[in-house]
Order: sequence, then C-alpha cells, then structure tokens
Amino acid sequence: MSDGSDSMQPDRPERVLTREELVRRGVAGGVALSVLGGQIPNALGALAEPAIKRGGTFRVGVQGGSDKEVIDAQTSVLDPDAARLTAIFDGLLYYDENYKLRPNLATQFTSKDAQTWTIRIRKGVQFHNGKTLTADDVVWSIRRMLDKSLSLYATAQLSGLRPANVRKVDKWTVRLILDTPNSVLPDAFGQYFMNIVPIGYTSSKAGGKQIGTGPYTLTSFTPGNRSELRRNPNYWRHGQPYFDRVLILDLNDDVARVNALLGGQVDAITAMPFAQISAATSRGLKILNSQGGGWVPICMAVDQAPFTDVRVRQAFRLIANRPQLVQQAFSGFGRVGNDVYSPLDACYDSALPPRHQDIAQAKSLLKAAGQDGLKIDLATTNGRAGQVECAQVFAQQAQAAGVTINVKNLDATTFYGSQYLKYPFSTDYWGTRNYLNQVAAGSLSVAPYNETHWNDPKFVSLYNQALRTVDQKKRCSIVAEMQNLEYTSGGYIVWGFYNLVDAFSPKVQGFKPSKGTLPLGSYGNGFRTIAFK
Amino acid sequence: MNPFRGISGFILRRVLLGVLTLAAVSLIIFAATQALPSDPARALLGRTATPESLAALRKQLGLNRPVVDQYLRWAKGMLTLNPGTSISASVPVTKLISDPIVNSSFLVLCSALVSIPLALGIGIWAAIRRDRPFDVVSSLVLLLFAALPEFVAGIALVLLFGTVVFKWLPPDALIPPGSPPWHHLNELVLPVATLAMVFVPYVARFMRASLIEVLESDYVEMARLKGLPEREVVLRHALPNAIVPSIQAIALTLAYLAGGIVTVEFVFSYPGIGAKLVDAVTSRDMPVAQTIALLIAAIYVFVNLVADILTILVSPRVRTSL
Repeated sequence: MSDGSDSMQPDRPERVLTREELVRRGVAGGVALSVLGGQIPNALGALAEPAIKRGGTFRVGVQGGSDKEVIDAQTSVLDPDAARLTAIFDGLLYYDENYKLRPNLATQFTSKDAQTWTIRIRKGVQFHNGKTLTADDVVWSIRRMLDKSLSLYATAQLSGLRPANVRKVDKWTVRLILDTPNSVLPDAFGQYFMNIVPIGYTSSKAGGKQIGTGPYTLTSFTPGNRSELRRNPNYWRHGQPYFDRVLILDLNDDVARVNALLGGQVDAITAMPFAQISAATSRGLKILNSQGGGWVPICMAVDQAPFTDVRVRQAFRLIANRPQLVQQAFSGFGRVGNDVYSPLDACYDSALPPRHQDIAQAKSLLKAAGQDGLKIDLATTNGRAGQVECAQVFAQQAQAAGVTINVKNLDATTFYGSQYLKYPFSTDYWGTRNYLNQVAAGSLSVAPYNETHWNDPKFVSLYNQALRTVDQKKRCSIVAEMQNLEYTSGGYIVWGFYNLVDAFSPKVQGFKPSKGTLPLGSYGNGFRTIAFK
Repeated sequence: MNPFRGISGFILRRVLLGVLTLAAVSLIIFAATQALPSDPARALLGRTATPESLAALRKQLGLNRPVVDQYLRWAKGMLTLNPGTSISASVPVTKLISDPIVNSSFLVLCSALVSIPLALGIGIWAAIRRDRPFDVVSSLVLLLFAALPEFVAGIALVLLFGTVVFKWLPPDALIPPGSPPWHHLNELVLPVATLAMVFVPYVARFMRASLIEVLESDYVEMARLKGLPEREVVLRHALPNAIVPSIQAIALTLAYLAGGIVTVEFVFSYPGIGAKLVDAVTSRDMPVAQTIALLIAAIYVFVNLVADILTILVSPRVRTSL
C-alpha cells in the first residue's frame, strides 16, 4: 500500500477515488507518522453504479440552532454551524465513518520525531472564488487557528505551536515545528472545524464572504432559521456532490422536526427522539443508528468534598448500574462504559475488568470514608439526550447505598454560567475523540474543560511521555497506564457511550452509520456522498 | 372645560393610564431579565468563555455599567424606537424582529378573521336555538376544545391533517426569511385552526350566555309583545346589548393571543415573535427579550383600550353617564 515514495507521485484527483491509505504510525524508519494520500474505497457503496441520480434539493432539519449561529470555518458552537462547515469547507484531514483519519486537502501529513511535521498539499484544488489552493493559504489558515483574539475552537487543539513556526517550504509544502513533540497532531487536524480558508478570510460576524473548497457554496444564511447552499461545480472530488442545492433548516422542537420529516417537508433530521423511532419506521422512515464514542459523564470534582477521598469516588462508580443507565437514559441506544473514555482509540484498554454495580462494596467504602448517609446536589441540564435522565436514574440507584442525591436540572445558560467547571458534582457531554486529544480537552489542569479538576502529577508526566512517543505500541502501553490511573482514581463516572440516532426519508441513498462525532454520518460527508434514489 | 370629561376625556385618561402601566411593566421586565441567572456574555461565549473574553465582552455590551444607568439607557432607546442591538445576532433589534412581527401579526389577524365571525355566529345561533340539538352539540364540542391546551390541539391537528391520517397540509410552517406569510397560506392553515380552537369556545360561550340573558329581559319581552318579528327582535333589540360583553371577551382573547401564540409558534416552528422570545430568553439576549416582552404588553394595553372605547360607543347608558 502507500508509503513515502507513493505519496511523492503527483496528485491526480481521480486517484483519490480509487485507492486510499491512512494514518500509519509507528513504522520503524522511513516515514514514522504519516497520513498518505491514496485510495478512498468508493465512498458510497450504493452509488458505485454509473448512474447516480443527480440534482434535486436536499433538505435537512437540524436541532440546536439559534440567533447565535455563526459561520466561521474554524469554530463551531451549535449543530447547524457544524452542518454548514462540513458542506462549505475542507480540512487537511478528515475522519471517515470508522473514525479513521483520511487525507483531505493534505495528501501527506508526516513526521519522524513528532515535533517537525511536513504537510503536502493537494494540487488542483480551487476555492469557491476560483483561486487555487496553495501553501500560502494553508499557512495563513493555521496561523489564523492560533489567533487567540478570535476565540476559535481550533485554537485549543494546537498547543505548543507558535504562528512563526508555521512555515511555507514551497508552493505545495508546509512545515510545522512544535515546541514539544505531539505524536497525535493529525488527530487534531482531522476535526471538522480545522478548516482551510483563503488568505484574508473572516467569519460571517465580521462580514466576511464564506469561501472554502467544500462541495457546496453558501448562497444565503439566516441565523436561527435556515442556510441555503448550492453545488460547487469545481469541487476537487470529481463527480461529487450530487445535489443541486442543500437547505439546512433549524427545527429545534422534537415534535416539529419529526413532523417535518413525516410530512415530507424535509428529507432527513438529526436527533430522532428515541420514543418515536418505532412509530417512524412503521411509516417507512429510515433510521441511522450510529455507534460513536460520545459520552455523557457524571463528573466528580476530585479536589472538592466529599470527592477528595478516592473511596467516595470509587463508591459512586460502584453505585452505577450501567446497563440500567444505558437502558433508561439512552433508551438502550448506547453501550455501557467502564469509567474510561475514547473507546474508539487504538490504545483503548479493553482489558480493564468491567465495573459492575456493587452496593455492599460501595456502602463499606462510604463508611470507611466516614460518608455514610451522604447528601449531595447533582447539577445537570437538558443538553444531550440522556443528560438529565442519567442524573435521575443515578440518584435512584444511589438510594440503595444510603446516598441522597438532589438532582438540580438547570437551563443550559445557567448550567454553563458562572458555576460551570466549578460544580463539585455535575453531568456533561462529549463527542467522539481519541484519547490523548480528549485528555488535552478535559483531563489536564491546563485543559479548557477540566470538569473533574483532575491534576495528577504522574498522569501529566505519562501524558507528556505519550506525546513524545512515536511508536504506537509503546505509546499504547503508556496510555494504558494513564487509563488505569483514571480507572482506579479518576473523577469521571463513564457509565455509557451514546448512539447518534437520526432519521431520513427512503428517497435518499448513501447514508452510512458513522463512529464520528457529527450526526447523520457527518451529514453525509458534507452532503457529498448522499443522493436521491 | 375639564379635559378629563366626556368621551375624549375618558380616552385621554385611559391612554395616560396605559402609558403608566407600560412604564411599570418596563421596570418589571427589566428587573426580571436582570434576575435571570447567568448573563448574556456567558450565554454568548458558552463553553469557550475565559475570564478575559468575558470581561472584554461585558465591557463591550455595557453590562458593567450600574443597573439604573442600564435601565435608563434602555428606556430611552425604547422611547426613541431604537431598542439597540441584539447581543446574539449582532444586528439591530428592529431588523431582527421585523419579519417575526409581520409573521405573528398576520397569524393573529387570520385567526381573528376566521374566529370572530365563527364564534359570534355559533354563540348567537346557540342562544336562539337554546336547548335544541345545535345548542347541546355545539356546547359539548366547544367545552371539549376549551379544555385542550394549545399544544395538544396543535399536535392533534398535525396528526390528523399533516402526518398520520391524511397528508393534506404541511405539518410545520417553514416560512423562509424575507418572504411574506401571505405567500404561504397552506402553511398557515393548521396554526390558524389551532388558535381558532382556543378562541372560538370562549367567545362563543360568552356570546351565547349574554344573548340568552338579554332575550329573557323585560324589554325584549316587550318588543315581542308589540308583535315584532323574532328576527327583528334578535337583531335590532337584543343583539346590540348582548354584544357588549362579547367585545370584552374578544379583546381579552386577542390580547391573550398576542402572548399565547408562543406555544403555537413553537409547535409549528412558525417564525414569529413567540419563537424569537423563547430563543432570546434562552440565550439571555436582553435587548431582544425586553423589546418583545414590552411589545406584547403594549398590544395587551392597546387592545383593552380599543375594547373599552368600543364598549362605550355601543352602550348608550355608559356613554351618557361619562
């Protein structure tokens, strides 16, 4: 399959449609860490036949929109924001439906030492305004990601990179020199908001034109209502996309969203309410049930009473009846968790003994900690499906161990207000992420969302060691130690991983369940691998 | 001459009272939005908030000024019809809510045009045909409708005509921005029908009761004894007096609709002020929430004022006593 020499060949877009190779890490010598441009197995199995129906307007109803919506290629706050990004922009890499990194605008993303990274840029890619993508745009885009004044989601993904160390080598090559090694840097660049924009790009709030390289161009955008997109005729994946137009409609109310699909006003919706699934399928609708790596943890702040005592944390983890939580909070659309996140990571340690409910053990731990008859508030909000329910179910389960949990269901703005990240005991939600990226986001003292206040010196040193370790096998053994630390003393109760459940009309083909973080299989890969029948 | 006497004086008094009411309401709205937990800066930045970005945004939004100062600035803006800029959307509030105002007004107008004649007609006919089959059946049905909350009625109508039983009408009112609602009458049928189910029972019951009362009064008896045809007795003698309570009922219901469409707009995803208000409160977009709340209060005051004036104009006894 692909290796260093293969990727040196000039890029022809049609090659991408025939072969693909992926992240190769830990190959001794030669290219140590690389993401190589190669074949993509025909992205849409059902569309392999020559006659794919083209044209039509695809309408999707998305939850979670509001006046706050914004288009910025490198940030994403609300669900419709993410839907638009997948359609208008491309990143250097992307995650496929198996949560494997694939080449996108980069044909190569390689490093020998995890500190100096070389990016080869795909040739023959045009922006929506006709300008050709070159290294200058990529350098400018990555430097923009690092601009702290813009408050971008992308910024936090690239610690240890300074703007001056994003360098153009030649017209098609960019080099990144990190302050400290980061063996999983490609993981960061695979996320859907790490997009490449032309020099001078600004967000919709700054009045900028939304020019990307994606399969669709933006024709209109009304926050809290809808966005209209038109097919990009010069898209670099020749032949794609298939629709003439895409309409992204904000439909926040569960009932209104399902009704729109039943009544034929939209062709697909995100976040199908679990309770209506059987009724919907009996009327001919299709369900897209994606088992991803997203999770809804119960978070115990390890530096606040009563959770300063590890015995209390372990007792609470033993209180959780995980199958019951998955059954009741996710209506069974999920899998049980084992207090360790990132189940799709190659280094996820599935050898850790599964943790089962053990009330007697929990009681004795609480007693030993002097906390029998404990009373505590659990803050939650109606964020993701199951976030409130899991708190309620857990509170019930805790009664058996003599613990009284008072569930405080706050509205989202209050929950994420001044107390957010300060609660001793709360719930939250996360999407799919690989382990070390997730650690950077939530389990370090410098992480932006360290809700459990986890700051273990040994853990930190293992983390830095893992980032330096290029060999995947060695890295996995370090990661296993980190996971073991969290399993035996961490602050998260990772009781389950949710499925993303979406619905679509039988008129549409090409949707595939995806392990990625976005619904509808990353919105049908930016609406480019789906078509009408 | 005392300007507070006579009909014009009455109107003047009521207008001044209305202004006072609105001033009081504006204080309450402002205090209530201030009392909401969290603040717009946090809502806007969400999980990405840092202490520095929060401080910068609060300064930019003027949230660090004294509360009294903020209120006075806001009140001044309201009086000069310049309610400021939306915090979430960064566009003038007037621009943000102009489409929703048109959409919601048209929805209420259509509902009123359908409901008022229907309600009065049913009420009058039921009173004339008292205890006959039409009266009994209509009373039962109206009581049933009156007992249904809007969202139940709305969902039932959607199931019946939009999704499950028949697929005749679009279940959601997806009106594109910038497109006037009268180009989307299909989309309006179900929301209007839902609002009519709220409106008709109340007004029809009122009309029926007051007409029955008047039909039993001495002067109607007198008119009948004079040998006037029943049609003339009802239309010329009974109805003008019986309609007065109904005007009040219509006004109250209309005023209720100004706020009550929030639910209906939500159920049908109708892009009106109700949906905007919910969104604004959730994201702590104070300028938008305060403007819409005050607008709804103003409509309430205005509709009641019009009803009082109409009542006076149609009832000679009250008119002459002023």
